[in-house]
Amino acid sequence: MPEVELRGIGKRFGKVVASRNIDLKIADGEYLTILGPSGCGKTTLIRMIAGIIEPSEGSVLIGGRDMKGVPIEERDIGYVFQNIALFPHLNALGNVSYGPIVKDMDVRDIEEVPRRYLELVKLLDRMNMFPGELSGGEQQKVSLARALASGAKLLLLDEPLSALDARVRMDLRYELRRITKDLGLTVIHVTHDQEEAMTVSDRIVLMRNGQIVEANTPEQLYLAPKHLFTANFVGETNLLEGTVREILEDRTLVELRDGTVVEARPSSFRRGDAVILSIRPERVHPASQGMRAVVRSITFMGTYIRITVDTDSEDRVNFDVSTSEDRDYNIGDRVDLIWSKRSGTLYPRPPEGVQEAIKLE
Amino acid sequence: MIAADDLEIMVEDGEYLCLLGPTGAGKTTALRIIAGLTRPDSGQVFLDVRDVTDLEPEERSAVLLSQTYSLFPTMTVAENVMFGPEIRKVPEDIRKRTLVELLDLVRLTKRADAYPRELSGGMQQRSALARALATNPDVLLLDEPLRALDARLRIDLRYELRSMAKALGLTVIHVTHDQEEALVMADRIAVIRNGRIIQIGTPREVFDSPATPFVANFVGQSNFFTGSVLCSGNDRTTTVHDEDGRVVFARPCALPADSKVVVAVKIGNTRVVKKSDAFLTGTVERALFEGRIVHLDVDVPGLGRYSVKLPATRRDQVAVGDEIGLNWSVRKASVFPYPEGGLERELRVD
Repeated sequence: MPEVELRGIGKRFGKVVASRNIDLKIADGEYLTILGPSGCGKTTLIRMIAGIIEPSEGSVLIGGRDMKGVPIEERDIGYVFQNIALFPHLNALGNVSYGPIVKDMDVRDIEEVPRRYLELVKLLDRMNMFPGELSGGEQQKVSLARALASGAKLLLLDEPLSALDARVRMDLRYELRRITKDLGLTVIHVTHDQEEAMTVSDRIVLMRNGQIVEANTPEQLYLAPKHLFTANFVGETNLLEGTVREILEDRTLVELRDGTVVEARPSSFRRGDAVILSIRPERVHPASQGMRAVVRSITFMGTYIRITVDTDSEDRVNFDVSTSEDRDYNIGDRVDLIWSKRSGTLYPRPPEGVQEAIKLE
Repeated sequence: MIAADDLEIMVEDGEYLCLLGPTGAGKTTALRIIAGLTRPDSGQVFLDVRDVTDLEPEERSAVLLSQTYSLFPTMTVAENVMFGPEIRKVPEDIRKRTLVELLDLVRLTKRADAYPRELSGGMQQRSALARALATNPDVLLLDEPLRALDARLRIDLRYELRSMAKALGLTVIHVTHDQEEALVMADRIAVIRNGRIIQIGTPREVFDSPATPFVANFVGQSNFFTGSVLCSGNDRTTTVHDEDGRVVFARPCALPADSKVVVAVKIGNTRVVKKSDAFLTGTVERALFEGRIVHLDVDVPGLGRYSVKLPATRRDQVAVGDEIGLNWSVRKASVFPYPEGGLERELRVD
């Protein structure tokens, strides 16, 4: 029921354009994440959906109804903020009961509903504790239970995990997805954390400079990003500068700066086009013959080892090897690197330069 | 309340040490004691061989870069960086040279005249770093230096910050709650919890040979199996079984037969295998694509949820609802005495 539609919405603050001309449909039951660097306009966007900010242009529809002039409390949404906003003088149960009481639910529901949601976030045993007595992760779970107890079917999450420790965040991501999917909610979640977005979402909308760069499933966004910015922002990647040498049916041959020829997916480029080849670190492998390079650093990453090399073509490349690898790598070693032609993606070389095109802030 | 209890750390000259632990573990307190901003109730702080416990912060050759950077908002980047040297009445020609060098180092030469509010988070962080370095410290104390930054930017800045410190030959103590950050940046990691250090070692030692179940789960997530030792001994694979007759294997340990134990294995070292090779079998509940890996939640009947990081290249081989086998390399599994107070309490991360 609560599908959400944004039709050409935009917001200006004086001369500053926070977002412009955004069209987006979020299906009933979908978990959608709005991802992007600081200042990309993602927070403005979710606040317009919530009704905290009135759009300068365009309209927000929730369940098919135009929300113009409808205040936040009448939009039937649950909202969870980055900075945990619990009532400090109420215990966990009191906080979660707030919605049902304000909504004038009947006495039995006021008794039962808050407990049901505290149970869902596994905090029933701590319901008598005050926010100050709970850890950050627990407080944010209470915030979630409070948002859910109001009965909303549309949940807006504004950087809900950003204030928490990395390790707590990891556990809560899975919980968030599990709970919202179990309840069949529609969720719009704003974050700057690409790993978080990958884990929780059905679909990710990547934003930059107030506009949508691209929207797709986590898998498609990672495996087949349409833009150079996406390739770099969603997961790490290596970017090599080159020129198209030849287009074959099953691959594209690209000549790097030192004349080395490497392979990428088939493409519609033409011979001589200036391109950037993007290749993920986990797709690059050492071999007896390939792109020549010198090892610059070796970093233990836990379940794998990240090796950074400078190539003869003067590109910097990261690749990953297993910790159980027989070969020992040392700084200064020469290595040859290869990858499957299906793993390399090509982009037109941006006129403003690669660094500018992938800039994070 | 005891924020830090009986801490003993020896940091080598030029070493990059990460103090890793959850919020409230006492990390910041430890750092403030070293900087001289908090007086310890007991114990001493030495820089080189000099006891600095009773010295004021500015008399120590250590400088603290706080989480919020605390740049002066009414001063430009250059004025912020020069604040320390001016107070110390450093001669003008030396001051100017230091400024040029530091701005170049943190790549802010072009923004020397900008005010903090005109800068991005990353630039503010670099300005604060330049200001800290302008006092020419031997020891740099970093309190969650990357916390306020975007996740993706943080990944790039890890490498940058470490190589800057190394290039300047600084001794660094870096406080963080982010285990991945610590793994990537540190020469050694000190894991701290409830005001105490529970393990110090290289990233590899802390990750591969955790001292406690908490460390096993905090530094990279782990799966746990509770049971009792069936056989063990020097250089022998440890065999652990539970009351339902399940049997798993782990690296050698000194615990005698019948000891109640937990076996911990990193989720990244847990493998999906044929049922005939499996220690445990279960049903795939969830498969979440995370880029280089697919995160699987596997329900093992009677034991609950095990997680696996499957390389994304193998993602077509496993689907939700499949019955799969799990095992691990014996060398990658640690055995611990069953924690007093229970496993759940031991593993709490906040």
